[in-house]
Amino acid sequence: MPSLKDIKTQINSVGSTKKITSAMKMVAASKLRRSQEKAEAARPYSSRLEEMLSSLASSAASGEGIIKLLTGTGNDQNYIVVPVSADRGLCGGFNSSINRETFKLVKSLEGNGKKVQLMLVGKKSRDFFNRVMKDQIIESYVDLNVSSTGYESALNISNKLQELYFEGKFDKCILVFNKFKSAISQEVTQQQLIPLDVSNSEKEEEKENSSNAIYDYEPDEETILKDLLPKNVSIQIFKVLLESDAGEQGARMAAMDNATRNAGEMIDSLTLKYNRTRQAFITKELIEIISGAESI
Amino acid sequence: MATISFDLVSPENLIFNDDVGTIIIPGKDGDLGVLPGHSQVMSSLRPGRVMVYREDKNLVKSFFVSGGFAEINPEKCIVLAESVVELNSLDKSSIEKEIEELGSKESKESEEQLSIAKAKLEAITVSFYDKI
Repeated sequence: MPSLKDIKTQINSVGSTKKITSAMKMVAASKLRRSQEKAEAARPYSSRLEEMLSSLASSAASGEGIIKLLTGTGNDQNYIVVPVSADRGLCGGFNSSINRETFKLVKSLEGNGKKVQLMLVGKKSRDFFNRVMKDQIIESYVDLNVSSTGYESALNISNKLQELYFEGKFDKCILVFNKFKSAISQEVTQQQLIPLDVSNSEKEEEKENSSNAIYDYEPDEETILKDLLPKNVSIQIFKVLLESDAGEQGARMAAMDNATRNAGEMIDSLTLKYNRTRQAFITKELIEIISGAESI
Repeated sequence: MATISFDLVSPENLIFNDDVGTIIIPGKDGDLGVLPGHSQVMSSLRPGRVMVYREDKNLVKSFFVSGGFAEINPEKCIVLAESVVELNSLDKSSIEKEIEELGSKESKESEEQLSIAKAKLEAITVSFYDKI
């Protein structure tokens, strides 16, 4: 049986863990608010860009040069998968679900005879894939610090991707990231980045075309499209980074909330045990005294 | 007199949103003056000044954009710009220094930055459009 002192120490250490987790929860909550604001602020730009793109997409008939970003290379043999994870842990299943999903995706693509390469964002996916698929990694981006220099990082990633794309290194690029649903739930999502998937925006375009008059384009549709497409790639990445950042904070908040609650329960049960043990000691001592007195 | 609603948006946030009288935008092939009731135009932009005027033609704000896109219809004008700075927050000497530094490097990227920096310098030195 553990001594009273042992239980006391255990209670104290669980108590200080609880303090840490509840502090982390507070920090995550305030960071979450900031990330959410960021994500919200970026929304007008990306939604406008998408609208413009979807109204232009129909004019891209032939796939040469930059327009390949929209029409594809005509092959689908080589893939790049980009998992977006966090740099830090202690956020529940946030990182492991990304890694698991990516791993599954890569395996299933390889099962279909495709060649897959990886471009990693975030320390947690880097560490994981460095262990399991080291030779397929082409690049990893860590310490992005999304909340302050997010757009620059997104630009870096997108430039690298486009460079590889136009060198013919891959035909399709898929992002795997945690979509921010609410403060407590994230959903692992796959998004095809290159070639651009306009199928879901096409319906809106039809609606728009019927109600709106046709635009004049300056200089012309193709030139605008050539400017627009590379930008769209960066913006999509930026959006994903922001969502993932907000998701990370949300996940951490939920995880730390759970941990704090568990620590509280643990302290309760330890305190109960402490009191029982104390009682047992007192009873034992009383019995010893009484039986001692009887024997005299 | 009628007004036109004007949005200036950068990837990070919405910078300007108000009803204004006139906007001058640096279109790729030349500047565009946008007044209420403008026909529908979609244009890409070159680095340059975006000037915003009230209904009485007084300058409200002027920005420098490094490029982007504009979507114009009779009621609304939206400018999507990659980087936006307010013109009077730019400092001439620091831009000149930047140009000098970039001029010594030789890469495709620095060339692009150089042309943006040069446009920036031009934007703060010229004074046309200050009054319309």
